[in-house]
Amino acid sequence: MSALRVSGLSIARAGLPVVSGVDLVAEPGAISVVLGANGAGKTTLLEGLSGIIPVTGGTIAIGGSEVQNALAGLRSRAGLAHVEQGRTVFGQLTTDENLRIGLRKGAGTDEAYGLFPELTQRRQVRGGLLSGGEQQMLVIARALLTRPKVLLIDEMSAGLAPVIVTRLMHTVRRLADEGLAVLLVEQFAALALSIGDRAYVMRRGRFVYDGDCGSLAKAPDELHRLYLGTT
Amino acid sequence: MKRASIRASLALLAVAAVLGAAAVLFLSSYWIFLLTGVLITGVALQSLGLVAGRAGMIALCQMSFAGVGAWTVGYLNVAEVPGGLTVWILLGGLAAVPFGVAIGLPALRLRGINLAIVTLSFATAFDTILATITYPGQTAFIQVARPAPFDSDGGYFVFALLFYVAIAVLLEFLARARIGASWLAIRHSERAAAAHGVSIAASKLSAFAISAFIAGISGGLLAGYLGTLVAENFSMMQSLSLYAVAVMAGARFAEGAIIGALLVIMFPEILRRLSLPQDLGNVLFAIGATQALSTGEAMSETFRRLGRKLLPARKQPEKTAPGVLPRPAPGAAPRPVLSIENLTVRYGSVVALDRVNLAVPVGTVAGLIGPNGAGKSTFIDAVTGFLPSYEGSVRLGGEALDRLPAHLRARAGVRRTWQTNRIAPELTVGGYLALAAKGLPETETRKLLAWLDCPDPETPVAKVDAGTRRLLDVAGVVAARPAIVLLDEPAAGQSHEETLRLGRRIAEIPELFGTAVLLVEHDMDLVRSVCAEVTVLDFGQVIASGPPARVLTDGTVKKAYLGITEGSAAA
Amino acid sequence: METYFTAAVAGLTAGGAYALLGVCAVFTYRLVAVVNFTGAAIGTAGTFMLISLTEAGYPTWPSVLAGIVTGTAVGVAIGFVMTRWFATAGASTKAAVTAALLVGLIAIGLRLTGGQHPHVMPELFPGSAFRLAGVQVTNASALTIGLAVLFTVASSLFLNGTRTGLHLRALSERPMAAELLGVRVRLLSLFVWGVTGAFTTFALMIIAPQRSPNFMTLSLLVVPALAAALIGLFRSFWLTLAGGIALGILEGLASTVDVVSQYRSAIPFLVILAVLLWSQREARWDEAR
Repeated sequence: MSALRVSGLSIARAGLPVVSGVDLVAEPGAISVVLGANGAGKTTLLEGLSGIIPVTGGTIAIGGSEVQNALAGLRSRAGLAHVEQGRTVFGQLTTDENLRIGLRKGAGTDEAYGLFPELTQRRQVRGGLLSGGEQQMLVIARALLTRPKVLLIDEMSAGLAPVIVTRLMHTVRRLADEGLAVLLVEQFAALALSIGDRAYVMRRGRFVYDGDCGSLAKAPDELHRLYLGTT
Repeated sequence: MKRASIRASLALLAVAAVLGAAAVLFLSSYWIFLLTGVLITGVALQSLGLVAGRAGMIALCQMSFAGVGAWTVGYLNVAEVPGGLTVWILLGGLAAVPFGVAIGLPALRLRGINLAIVTLSFATAFDTILATITYPGQTAFIQVARPAPFDSDGGYFVFALLFYVAIAVLLEFLARARIGASWLAIRHSERAAAAHGVSIAASKLSAFAISAFIAGISGGLLAGYLGTLVAENFSMMQSLSLYAVAVMAGARFAEGAIIGALLVIMFPEILRRLSLPQDLGNVLFAIGATQALSTGEAMSETFRRLGRKLLPARKQPEKTAPGVLPRPAPGAAPRPVLSIENLTVRYGSVVALDRVNLAVPVGTVAGLIGPNGAGKSTFIDAVTGFLPSYEGSVRLGGEALDRLPAHLRARAGVRRTWQTNRIAPELTVGGYLALAAKGLPETETRKLLAWLDCPDPETPVAKVDAGTRRLLDVAGVVAARPAIVLLDEPAAGQSHEETLRLGRRIAEIPELFGTAVLLVEHDMDLVRSVCAEVTVLDFGQVIASGPPARVLTDGTVKKAYLGITEGSAAA
Repeated sequence: METYFTAAVAGLTAGGAYALLGVCAVFTYRLVAVVNFTGAAIGTAGTFMLISLTEAGYPTWPSVLAGIVTGTAVGVAIGFVMTRWFATAGASTKAAVTAALLVGLIAIGLRLTGGQHPHVMPELFPGSAFRLAGVQVTNASALTIGLAVLFTVASSLFLNGTRTGLHLRALSERPMAAELLGVRVRLLSLFVWGVTGAFTTFALMIIAPQRSPNFMTLSLLVVPALAAALIGLFRSFWLTLAGGIALGILEGLASTVDVVSQYRSAIPFLVILAVLLWSQREARWDEAR
């Protein structure tokens, strides 16, 4: 069974359709990459999936049960975690407190420190004082402690030095290899395609490509065409 | 802009003349009397529409200002000051201004919530004061005298209508002028407004002063309307309920103020006729205001939206040919444009910038790069005056800027953009440029927009997509032809093609506008293609500077950026 | 001197109530980011439940309980409006909503309680607790101040020491991020509204016998409450507490001076003006804008 199965999903913002009839799946152990130019609707798609904004049509199933009408908190408890764009740490809370908020049964903050050892020394430091890279690690670790089946990550690379991005990408790959279903939204295609399994390309709210990452990575012209729609 | 104001004002005058004449001719004096009340309440609502609707401040003491106006008229009446009611009313409005300014002062730097608290507390305080002084002339049964042609009920209706229309026209002109744009801008983002040289204090105070003036006038009109007044007319509850109505009806538009006033006057009338308790009106206003706040659309805005759907779309004004922008006069810009010496910024124990030196020569595009968290945004904030303190000096053409606040630095010629878009969506594209560049001629506005492939000036910003808004940001800072612009990641979120195009435009800025550019960017291709000199920041220190080709291959820079060699960072 | 001291101590009852109302305002602001203009009106609703029950002949203490339940329910109802429709709105919009709701609440309240019609408010804690330098300190003032201190201490222990407290702090900073981590945001927000509703109701029950108990006058006690909260800059519970008490004492003192006494209720305004002018001498740009 797919960890996440979405069919015919439509989302509108201020009455205008932003996502129209999207189908996608995220399988345990695999990374699905959603690519697309700015404004294609990628972030809106994730926000609709996690319940930040309501959807106007279609279904979202997490581990087989439909959640498209549930509030964000319920979807989280059903096994969906969303790492939002812009590193949404709780700036006034310490690293440790940030990690403890969503802690589920059987999870412990030690796991997070094991995954990102550099956070260990920053345990009692307030989230707002961490560097951009540390904040990104913190929000990913924080999401993992909710024991998700599916992890949605939005623009993980934005504003981070390439060395950190590479590091985070490898971590995400490892998490998937351990059985997590990952849906990765990225604007910068090359790195995401190199670690991903299945790729979707979004343009104007629709998927214009659905296939494997490898073949798309080998065809940059095709990718370029898909992004911008020039024929 | 002017032409649009005149057009709108003429339309308003025509509508008012027709409806006013119809009312006088066909309605009984009872209804005329009620409608006069509608107009007076409409004036009070217009005052709220300005301060709350446009400037976005929560003002809960508008009827107290009206009270000041009304009492002033009362005193002038008893003292039989020459000039009659018209003059008294204007003086009453003026008398309310100092109160408005005094109330606005403590809320200058702090945002709406504090203002709400101040105004509500003022309204309660004013209540207790009014409760102790009877209306002038009341004990001697002296009524406020109406002037000669307007002394009948029908006449006074016309009198009130003249005031209403005059104020509506005044507000129409103000709204389309730079000051009106500045009200919308500060409501959206005070920093962004200041970065365009808008004085937040002057803008807020002017909103409050004008609003108090108009509210005072409504009080004066009420005095002439009822002859004598009681404290109840101006109680805090009246102010609160008026605020709810203003929010519900959308009083920042002339028709919104009338809709609101109709609700205030007619709803109790209807309830009375249905033998229902009249105070139900306030419950409705509370619900209506809550509804308007939750949808972000007041009644007048809904009507405008529906109206636009029904009416055929107006013909698009012809686009001016993308002609050539006028070149700057040679030598117009100050000599070595921007020079920064030993700039140091501390946040507590963290040193965000450590003795940074940087100079941008005239007529060039310089780059400032560095890994995330290197201090680039802090640098821009410090230079443009958005930090409470820093050490070192910032000079523009040799003049030290260090003592100037942000808006004066902007006026002196240091402009900046923001990483996130901060243009008020209620503005039009042209209105935004008029805000950014005082007195920009219309032809130049069009050329500038064409140069950046932005939509024409009449387009509402709300309809402009995010990518184009980034270009509009650039248009805004260069429009005033400042000495230097600091662009904070203008290519963020742009596609590759768009970035290339943006790069070409940025490269043209020095020549076209006489403006030097400091470009902060992550996109190295962009930096490489447009910058003559690049400075690299890492952990708040300059680690390299020079031509991009050399700097970007420098070992230290590679390490800072890519972590190619292992080793301790320069922390 | 003696008279001034007596007057100051007499102001303690009001001061204690202001302190408690102010602390509740800060609590609401810090946790659910709403400057709540309906604070006192919520408590007033509960207080009038008590009044109408005792007027109808019901025994006092069960009526008090019913009043507190009513206040809690009204608080939760306002909280429901705020969390249902304004969860993502800015602080100014939320304040505007509560200002608008205040209009409606007062209108409904006046209608149900017969406008300015006089009511008898039972004094819940008559008598005095102890003597301070020869002046009687009333039970009511000791109780309100004690309750305000208790509220402050307990809430800080609760916020910093429990998991729910951690959730509340997370909620106060980024409601959506908290919800995405599975925090029951709406439930917790309603909990905050309910708790503050209960405490404000109790504070108003104590102060009501001293004021003309009509719905509007009591609802407007939100002004001194917000003045106290401003003294604490909407952050510090202890400063708010001290500010509320000081405000009460100031009012007590003002009542002894003939010229000023009838303008007593203008004092919060002057205090607010002073605090804002003082607190903004350093203020530059607020966060995020």
